[in-house]
This record gives sequence, C-alpha cells and structure tokens, in this order.
Amino acid sequence: MPSDSKDKRIGVFICHCGKNIAGGVDIEALLQSIRETPGVKFVAENRYSCSEDGQIDIQNAIQDQELDRVIIAACAPSLHLMTFQRCGESAGIEPSFVDLIDIRKWTMHGNPEKVDPDEALERSKKLIKQAVKRMSLKRVIPQVVVKTEPSVLVIGGGVAGLEAALDLADKGYEVNLVERLPTIGGKMALLYKVFPTNDCAPCILAPKTAYANIHPGINLLTYSEVTAVEGYIGNFSVKVTRKPRYINEDSCTGCGLCVEKCPQKVIDSVYSAGIGERKAIYIPYDLAIPKKAVIDDENCLYMKTGACRLCEDECPTDAIDFDQESRTIELKAGAIIVATGFDEYNPTEKTEYGYDRYDNVITQYQLARILDIDGPTKGKLLRPSDGKEPQNIAMIQCVGSRDENTNEYCSSICCMYALKHAQIIREMVLPDTEIYICYIDMRTAGKNFEAYYRRTRELGINFIRGRPGEIIEETDTKNLIMKVEDPDLGRLLNLEVEMVVLSCATLPSEGTEQLSGILGTALDENGFYQEVHPKLRPVETNVRGIYICGAAQGPKDIPDSIVQAKAAASCVDGELRKGEIKLPEFIVKTTGPDKEG
Amino acid sequence: MKPDDIPEDMPEDIPEDMPENISGDDSEETVQVPNLDPAFKYEVMRNEGAGGLKYCFACGACTASCPIHEIDHGFDPRKLARMVQLGMKDEVLSSPLIWYCSACRNCEQHCPQSVEFFNILNVLKNMAAEKGYAPYAWVVQTRHLMRTGMVFRTDEAWETRRKALSLPPLQLDGEKVRELIELSGLDELIVKKRP
Ligand SMILES: Cc1cc2nc3c(=O)[nH]c(=O)nc-3n(C[C@H](O)[C@H](O)[C@H](O)COP(=O)(O)OP(=O)(O)OC[C@H]3O[C@@H](n4cnc5c(N)ncnc54)[C@H](O)[C@@H]3O)c2cc1C
Ligand code: SF4
Ligand code: SF4
Ligand code: SF4
Ligand code: SF4
Repeated sequence: MPSDSKDKRIGVFICHCGKNIAGGVDIEALLQSIRETPGVKFVAENRYSCSEDGQIDIQNAIQDQELDRVIIAACAPSLHLMTFQRCGESAGIEPSFVDLIDIRKWTMHGNPEKVDPDEALERSKKLIKQAVKRMSLKRVIPQVVVKTEPSVLVIGGGVAGLEAALDLADKGYEVNLVERLPTIGGKMALLYKVFPTNDCAPCILAPKTAYANIHPGINLLTYSEVTAVEGYIGNFSVKVTRKPRYINEDSCTGCGLCVEKCPQKVIDSVYSAGIGERKAIYIPYDLAIPKKAVIDDENCLYMKTGACRLCEDECPTDAIDFDQESRTIELKAGAIIVATGFDEYNPTEKTEYGYDRYDNVITQYQLARILDIDGPTKGKLLRPSDGKEPQNIAMIQCVGSRDENTNEYCSSICCMYALKHAQIIREMVLPDTEIYICYIDMRTAGKNFEAYYRRTRELGINFIRGRPGEIIEETDTKNLIMKVEDPDLGRLLNLEVEMVVLSCATLPSEGTEQLSGILGTALDENGFYQEVHPKLRPVETNVRGIYICGAAQGPKDIPDSIVQAKAAASCVDGELRKGEIKLPEFIVKTTGPDKEG
Repeated sequence: MKPDDIPEDMPEDIPEDMPENISGDDSEETVQVPNLDPAFKYEVMRNEGAGGLKYCFACGACTASCPIHEIDHGFDPRKLARMVQLGMKDEVLSSPLIWYCSACRNCEQHCPQSVEFFNILNVLKNMAAEKGYAPYAWVVQTRHLMRTGMVFRTDEAWETRRKALSLPPLQLDGEKVRELIELSGLDELIVKKRP
C-alpha cells in the first residue's frame, strides 16, 4: 500500500465522453491549463475514460509514470467512481486516492446545468485544480472489517414492505416489520379489485399478509413507529415505540363481541376514507392481519369520561387491558428498508371543485371503499346527498397532479384506477349509469394497460379530453354542473351529473419528512425518498444500508412496487450475506454504538 | 312498385328547409349534455360493421386521410364519431354532412383502432333517411334509378351517339334494380317526407 509520506505523484485524465464533454469545452485549453498546475505530474486525455481502452490507458500511465494518485475529470461520481476505483486498485492505487469529478454536467446536451463553452472551461479548470489540491492533502482512509447483523428492519407493512420482508425472511434473515396502523396490508388491502387484471385485491394480498403473520423469520410490530435510528450498515440500532392497543394480543381471538357492545361511534377516516363509521373499540376489517381489536383512546368513553368499560365485561377471554401504556423497544438491524407508501391528496384546496362544500363530490379512494363489498356501504354506490343511485357520474383526472399550483408531477396511477372504477361500475354495480372521464392525457403505459383502456372504451365509457374549469352545485337537486371544452368536437360541453369523483394526486405518506430526518436520508423535490440514481440505482439511498421501495420512492402501482421491493431485498442480501463488511474506519467511529465524541 | 307509381322528379319536391350551401358545421353553441341521448351510440353500434365505434379515441387519422375533408373542412369524420359517442343524435342525423362521404374508405385504412368509420356513416345515413333527412339529390337519383336502371339521366343525344358508335339502344328498364331496392326497403324511404 502506498504511504502518504512519499512524494505525491498525481495524474489527471480528462475524458471527452465522445462529444458529451469535448463538444462543449475546449479540451486542448483545459489540458494546457492543468499541465501547468502545481502538483500535477501527468496529464492525458481519453476518448472514453470508462471504456476498456480508456481504463488500460489509465493503468499504463499509472505504471509508466509511477503515479500514486489519479483524478479523472469526466462524469458524476454516483455513476462511475467505483469503476475508476477498481481500475486504479488493479494498478496498485488505494481506492481513496482515486477521484472522479463531474465536468460533464456543464457541457452535455440536455443537461439542465449546461453552460456556454467559455464558462465550462473556467469552471472545469477551477474544479480540477481544487481536486488536485484536495488530493495532495489526502491521507489513506483506514478501512476496518466489521461483523454485520443478520436482521433487517422493514418500515411500512404495505404490499412493498411485505414483499421485501417475505423475500428476506425466506433467505434466512430475521425481519422486524414495523407498521404504524393496527394492521398490515397498506392501501392494497382496501382497494377491492386491482388493475390490470381486476382480480380481488384482498384475495391476492392475503397469501402475503397471512404468510407474514406466521413466518418464523418475521416479527410483526403493528401499531408501532420508528423513533430513533443510530449506527451504520451492518450495525444499526433502532428504537420502536409501540402504541397501546389496550388489548392483550395473545388472548384476543378477534370475535368482535366487544365491538358490538361499544356505544361510541366514530367516523372511520382510515379504513373507510371517511365514508363509514366504526366504534371506539374496533377490528379494522374482516381480513385484517393481525385480526385483533384495538381501542382508539381519543374516542373511548372510558378514557374520555372515566365511565363505560362495557367492552371489558363482554370479552370472553379478558383480553382488554386499560392499563397498557406505550412502550419503546430496541432492535438491532443490519439494514433498513423504507416502504412507507403514499397518501391521497386532500383536494379541499382546489376550491373550484368544491370537495368540502358539495355532498356529491368524492375522491377515487373513497369510491374504492364504496365499491368494496366489504366496505362501508357494502358495495352499494349511492349519492351521499340523498342515497339515490347516480344516473351519471363524471370523473376528473389530474386533481392536484401536473399542476404547478399544487404538485407538478404525474401521479401515474390515477388514469388506470379511474378506468378500473369505471369498469367496475359499468359491469357490476350500475350498468346503466353514464360515466364521463375528463382527462388531459390518458396515461396507460404499463404492460397490458393499453388493452385495459381499450376494454374500458368497449364498455361505452365517455372520454372527454378536457379539464372542467369549475363545478357548480345545483341547490335543489345537488347535481353538479360543469363546463368542459371538448377539443375533439371543438365545442364547449355543459355537463350535468349526479356525482363527481376526483382522481387525486399521490403524496408521500404523512410523517415522511420526520422519518427521513430520523434515518438521515434525502427526499426529492416532491417529498418522496430520493434514490441515488433514478435509472441505475433506484432503490438505494444516500445512506449505505438504507433502501427504499414502493410508493415511498414515488407514485407507482403494485407491479412496480413489487419489483422495487424485490430489488431492495436483493440489495440487502448482497450487503449482508457475507456476515462482515469492510468500511472506512471513520464511519464506524463516528456513527457506531461506541462512537467517539 | 310499378314504374308509374314512382313519383316524378318535380322541382316543387325540393323541401324548403334544404339549405343552399350545405357546407360546414361551424356551430359554436355549447353542447347541453343533459339533452343528449347517451343510448344513441349503442343504437348505432348494434348495426353490422359499426361496433368499432366504441374503440375510437379521437386520434384524427381518419380526418387527416379523408379527401372530402381536404376540400371541405366542415366534413370531419373524427368529429362525427365524437358526436355519435356523446349522443348528439338530432344534430348528427339532420346534418347534411353525413352524406358527403365519397366512399373511398381511406378512414378505415388508416384508423389505428379498426373503427371502420365508413360503415358507421352508412348506418347514420340509413337512420337519417328513415327520419326523412335524405338529401333531395339522393332521393331524385334513387327514383331515377328505379325507373330506368341508370344512375344518370339520359337524353336524346345519348341515343344518337350510341347509334353513331353502332351500339344497341339502351334498355331503360329498372326492373331488376327495382327488385333489389324493394327488397332492401329503400323504396319506402325515398317517398318519406323530411320532418
Ligand atoms: C384509489 C386507488 C386505487 C388503486 N388501484 C390500484 C390497482 O388497481 N392496481 C395497482 O397496481 N395499484 C393500484 N393503486 C396503487 C397502490 O395502492 C399502490 O401501488 C400500493 O399501495 C403501493 O404499496 P406501498 O406498500 O408502497 O404503499 P402503501 O400501500 O401506502 O403501504 C404503506 C404502508 O406503510 C405504513 N406506514 C406509512 N408511514 C409509516 C411509518 N412512518 N411507520 C410505519 N409504517 C408506516 C402505512 O400505514 C401503510 O400500511 C391504487 C391506488 C389508489 C389510491
Ligand atoms: S378483545 Fe375480547 S371481545 Fe374483543 S375481539 Fe378480542 S377477544 Fe373478542
Ligand atoms: S396518471 Fe393520469 S390522472 Fe394521474 S396525474 Fe398522471 S395523467 Fe393525471
Ligand atoms: S370513406 Fe368517406 S369518410 Fe372515409 S375517408 Fe373516404 S370520403 Fe372520407
Ligand atoms: S382514425 Fe379511428 S380512432 Fe382515430 S378518430 Fe378516426 S375513427 Fe377514431
């Protein structure tokens, strides 16, 4: 290993990247300037530094010129630093003495940071000179080998978290699955049917939830939240706060007698999206896992007034325990997967659609709950204002999406679920009800999705390529009137319907900011977890050992959530399977359990 | 029907409401959706060859390839398909536009959804004729066909020229065509009055 006391021999390689760099900066001038930089022993150019030829040229130069440190001026370290570290290492150079600096962002066509060639030259010179200075001061970063924990923490028990947990548990890891709600399954458990196959969501999810419930390698921690994380890959220590259910989970059989007895009704904003009611003591739904009761302490009469405890008298197994308190447990984890999913956008701020003012304007998630035969209305689709079957329904797409005033991104799933709901209504619920879908673009890009769109047209659903400006409620009938421009007709339509469904944006789930603060992970400009590279490293975060999957990383459907979950599980396995890992010593010293200072 | 029963092409037959220049659907009026007939599209699609309409996603390939649209932008297959989908029954059936088609079937060739718009137009024309909306020129032509078996009118000059070319005289008898037309029920449509 080269020592750092020896005279430093720094080589700089400037990459053309074909025309990506060479087309936007004067390479000759750059070479000239770097040649004259103090501390630089050797300068060369490569057409593609990362190519096999380029790497051989770099390795030959290391040998011929006896270089002990190299700087490559090319593209982003997130893309190729590892490539060049490996290249240097096989020519005998310590990886920390290989640096890659990004000068391509200023020269490449299509890059938002591109500048004119003169500016690119000045910036490149400056950046390379800084790198030379930095390199000349660098010392060897000592590496240490540490043992890794064979356990994984998965945060979020939706379909993505479940898939990752099952994959890892099957591979032999011990998995702690932390879920904030009293049940696992996430949104998918409440969707009734799922595109593009329209199979029953609970039926295809149940094998996963049920298996997770009994899998010896999975420890389900429902009604719990992660409150602190310390450490580094292989050795995280985690604090999990378990909220009191006021039920002894081991003795509760899920019989539901307590629920029947409870006199206190509450609007269920979680499991029935505000459409239906539950009791203060409740079992979330029939297929809930775990199927155990839970007491909502904000609404329980005994907790509020000190009198009631009717449920306690009713319980045949004495499972109710009003003395339970919140408690915090500590766990070890070799790696962490974040799968905290999404929330539906609340469209109240889009006042033009009157969501909070008009009875008959609902959201698609509410509609999903209404259509569910196990949902709050047992699958009956009736107008909230008068309980009548709506004769016609309009769906409005992109509410709170693709909108510079709210969220600029496309939520990517709402075109498909609008089609799904239209199909269900037409085929199974109200076959004679006219449905109008007002859209901007119909985005059905997934596998078999276009056929799904065609199938929806086959059912005679009306598609209007326009966005209503405003909805007015007719005071007597509570019907909803809107004007939509129909460009296919070149005319304005005056649409009057009995019910409106808003296809609302997909947002990062509540508490994402807080959790990412605890984890030290970065969020993107829309508040979703930021991946290291959108194409090449989609499930890794800026913290090694913490991975993301599902809707927590960005809006996505179930197929894509599963793919990411499997990818994250595979990343974890890749890091932990040897049981030990080589890390820079400073990481272990500054973030470990026995950190200094 | 005997040749004598077929009404003569009387100029006074021309209905008063027949617009002189029937080009262009330039209506800018707001479409009142509650007044439309959402079942209209099903009524149309029930007919042989017209079921493809449900797949139309308004791409406009038909319009872009239609030679009639090129001459008269008022005739727009995509718009007509749209009007049917939305249930604009009265406006579509009373529109002279549906009779403009030259039957080239370019629209059908270019449609990415195999909609067969030409067939849909035929269904619309039948429905329109049923309601008495057939254009006068078409009615007169059909009557002529039934009488003479010829689509175009003949005059004495024809006979003279045929003689000069040693061709036999024309047999101006529409019997066979008449049979066909009667079988199809078209004979009843041509005597229908516009509403
Ligand atoms: C109306 C509607 C219809 C849809 N229909 C379909 C469809 O037909 N087909 C399809 O493929 N997709 C559909 N989707 C999309 C589908 O819901 C998502 O792809 C899927 O739910 C994503 O799974 P997930 O596990 O990433 O997130 P989620 O399902 O949101 O699960 C996340 C889980 O994490 C928990 N959680 C959140 N924060 C924390 C925290 N801090 N600590 C612990 N736990 C936490 C949540 O409680 C939840 O259980 C639909 C979506 C909507 C809104
Ligand atoms: S708490 Fe008791 S009564 Fe309630 S569901 Fe559980 S076992 Fe049944
Ligand atoms: S998926 Fe469709 S409805 Fe949703 S934001 Fe994108 S374009 Fe709009
Ligand atoms: S068949 Fe008729 S509508 Fe179709 S392209 Fe030809 S003229 Fe136009
Ligand atoms: S080409 Fe076909 S799909 Fe496109 S607008 Fe015409 S009929 Fe509709």
